[in-house]
Amino acid sequence: MKYTPQYGPGTSIVAENRRRQMNPNIELQKMRKVTDEDIILILGHRAPGEAFKSVHPPIGELPEVDCPMRKLVKPTEGALHGDRVRYVQFADSMFNAPSQPYQRTYAEMYRFRGIDPGTLSGRQIVECRERDLEKYCSTLIETEMFDPARVSLRGATVHGHSLRLSEDGMQFDALQRCIMGEDGRVKYVKDQIGVPLDRQVDVGKPLDDDWLREHTTMFHSLVGTPLREDPEYIEYLQRIHTLRTKYGFMPREDKK
Amino acid sequence: MNVQAASPASLPQIRICSIRMMKPETCETLLNKLVEIPGIRRILLHGQNIPKVIPYGPARGMENSTDIKRNITVGTTSCDIRMLVGDIILELEDECIIGVINRICTDFFVKFGFVMQQGIFIKPTMTMFDYAKYGPKPDPELIGMVDPRSKERPVRIIAHEEHEHRMICACENNALEG
Repeated sequence: MKYTPQYGPGTSIVAENRRRQMNPNIELQKMRKVTDEDIILILGHRAPGEAFKSVHPPIGELPEVDCPMRKLVKPTEGALHGDRVRYVQFADSMFNAPSQPYQRTYAEMYRFRGIDPGTLSGRQIVECRERDLEKYCSTLIETEMFDPARVSLRGATVHGHSLRLSEDGMQFDALQRCIMGEDGRVKYVKDQIGVPLDRQVDVGKPLDDDWLREHTTMFHSLVGTPLREDPEYIEYLQRIHTLRTKYGFMPREDKK
Repeated sequence: MNVQAASPASLPQIRICSIRMMKPETCETLLNKLVEIPGIRRILLHGQNIPKVIPYGPARGMENSTDIKRNITVGTTSCDIRMLVGDIILELEDECIIGVINRICTDFFVKFGFVMQQGIFIKPTMTMFDYAKYGPKPDPELIGMVDPRSKERPVRIIAHEEHEHRMICACENNALEG
């Protein structure tokens, strides 16, 4: 029998959104266009047009090694060229941001190759080869996983995901890396670590509240879908909790 | 340690929490409306710090350039603020002005809502930190009004000649990594 992954439990819209983001067979809805040069500017790892720095010669020029893993795994574009490992980090507001740290890690592990994600309560960092990173970033920024106001790229000083939004609906950012322009569009004025950019990078208009409520992957009892409205999810969480608690005592589920 | 009350416990306190965090300009406008009301004894602003320099990461130490206003004028006194304001805590002489404050806030918060609560929000007694910072006999009005981690003194704002003791202190939150 062929195994079909379920990706996650739940009957609510939040659970459905989570499954949709995780499933690599579903193409994520493209919401905005951000050029490659703009992404390079926000990331701040290299200047636009600058060659990729490498940490080893291209794999084709390296001597042959008798390694079964090399025969098994096809290198990514970045690994093939010997690129450096660089990172991108996202902070997602708890006010119905389209994605959230754990969800990001799950989705990226299903969709991307050669990545090393780090998941924290309010931010999620992903490391990979620079060439791959820029490609993955364009997916993460241009699709429905990003909202210019509720999600932002923050390499350091990330505080803000659990705070109230500011007056203009933006997530709090102590470094004010992105600002809301008078035309209602969000512009990055600093790169992800807070160094001012030579020019502003436009990432588009924030998505409206109704859209966010329908597309968020976060349960929120006040501004979105409460977890208690999804009994299937609660049952799953309780089962995981019980098994984790009993782990040291050789857990065995009762046969029904 | 001599523990003494900063102010009589019977004085009412209220907290105004706006649904969105206020920019300094907005907070300045609201405060200027509030200081017109006689009977407000102390004002405490609570919010999220906007640091002067970048505190973490490869750009640590660089100037943190933002267009957030750094200085507000309340009454006739100007003071540095350096934060987005989340809560405004007021200590009142009498409960009878709560209704007036509520009316002003209702008229003021049009784009987003607010919540007004009554309770004890300013620390009423000295802690060890206050003892270390101000000594055994501090000014009672300072207790609970300043972030112990802040190196700056509170600002005394005189809005009316008949009510001299108004203070605003910028609470700093240094927990910027989460």
